Amino acid sequence: MSKDTLTFAVILSVIDFVLCFVMISGIGGIIYLLRYLNRFGKLDETKMRL
Amino acid sequence: MLNQFLPFLTALGEQTGVAQLYWGNVLMMAIGVAMILLGVVKKYEPLLLVGIGFACVISNVPGSSLLQPGGLFADAYLGVSMLILPPLIFFGVGAMTDFAPMLANPKLVVLGAAAHLGIFVALIGAKLLGFTIYEAGAIGIIGGADGPMAIFMAVKLAPQLLPQISVAAYSYMALMPLIQPPVMRLLTTKKERMIRMKQMRAVSRLEKIAFPVVIGVIVNLLLPAVAPLITMLMMGNLFKEVLVTERLAQAAGNAIMNITLILLDVAIGSTMVADKFLTVSTLEILGLGLFAFVIGTGSGVVGAKMMNLVMKEKINPLLGSAGIASVPIAARVTATVALQDDPENFLIYQAMGPNLAGVFGTALSGGIMLALLQ
Repeated sequence: MSKDTLTFAVILSVIDFVLCFVMISGIGGIIYLLRYLNRFGKLDETKMRL
Repeated sequence: MLNQFLPFLTALGEQTGVAQLYWGNVLMMAIGVAMILLGVVKKYEPLLLVGIGFACVISNVPGSSLLQPGGLFADAYLGVSMLILPPLIFFGVGAMTDFAPMLANPKLVVLGAAAHLGIFVALIGAKLLGFTIYEAGAIGIIGGADGPMAIFMAVKLAPQLLPQISVAAYSYMALMPLIQPPVMRLLTTKKERMIRMKQMRAVSRLEKIAFPVVIGVIVNLLLPAVAPLITMLMMGNLFKEVLVTERLAQAAGNAIMNITLILLDVAIGSTMVADKFLTVSTLEILGLGLFAFVIGTGSGVVGAKMMNLVMKEKINPLLGSAGIASVPIAARVTATVALQDDPENFLIYQAMGPNLAGVFGTALSGGIMLALLQ
């Protein structure tokens, strides 16, 4: 299929938009999971500073 | 005597820029001055518009040696075309940005994708106007409202359109306080705009440190095409969050960022030369860029309203418009519009969440586009 057509532009847009939603939802899921790191401990910010 | 001097004077005149000056140069100089005035008088993104405007004025003086190989403007442009400056801007942005609003409320991350419909509307519009698919892709990314990303995509897909695309992206980013509010008000009721958001949870240092490392790995794994930008964003942020590299974070967010910004301003302004810029395609790109911003703002608001259909706790739909990437301009516009209806409804912190997600949304759109086109 030739890429330089209006049809391809529409297909590209639909795939890109949907995939973007899927991937950003995945990032959202990972961000949600980050809070569970707090179960492993807490960093002491005073000690961290040089 | 005069006969002997005249050839000398004529030759001297021909060597100056005056002989080559035409109406196009004068028009572009006027546009450059207008950009400086917008920055100085209206305070619209002065860090961008003053530098770009000045470089635009000087670049339209025929024969300016700054544009010749070895000239400072030409060298600054090399930094753009070799994709050195856009990742450095991301580096600085990362070092200055607190991602806590995004980490605290991951649900709002989806708005970073919803507000990017404008990219695809502009892409299809550009194809309809006769641009190639590569040019259309690069034009579409203007709708992401992310200057460095727009430059990155233009260099990758359609370097010949870099001046128009970068000018459209940065100009509209600067003009977002004018472009977005009418669209936001049109798509929301006063009652919706007055929805207050509850205070977000505190984000721990451990989460803030893990975030750039995890995202850096994921982006390089899944979207290597746009990895240089996001990786530098994450590296800058890591320097900020680990607290032991404060000097580096300060350098990235101040000195490096400022130097890069100056070079970027000069590089973009120097591409606004009349004979290349005053074309029909420039007008088409500027029109498509504006359309993309309007559609992106609208789709973000509609996306937030759709989330309200399924969410128990309603969100203020104005947050959707902040899903456009331009950080922190879009978040500021959201907060300003909310304050106009309720002077005690402070949304800036909540708006930063979707706004930061918008950076990822644009990068994802660009990365997927590059993967599908190349």
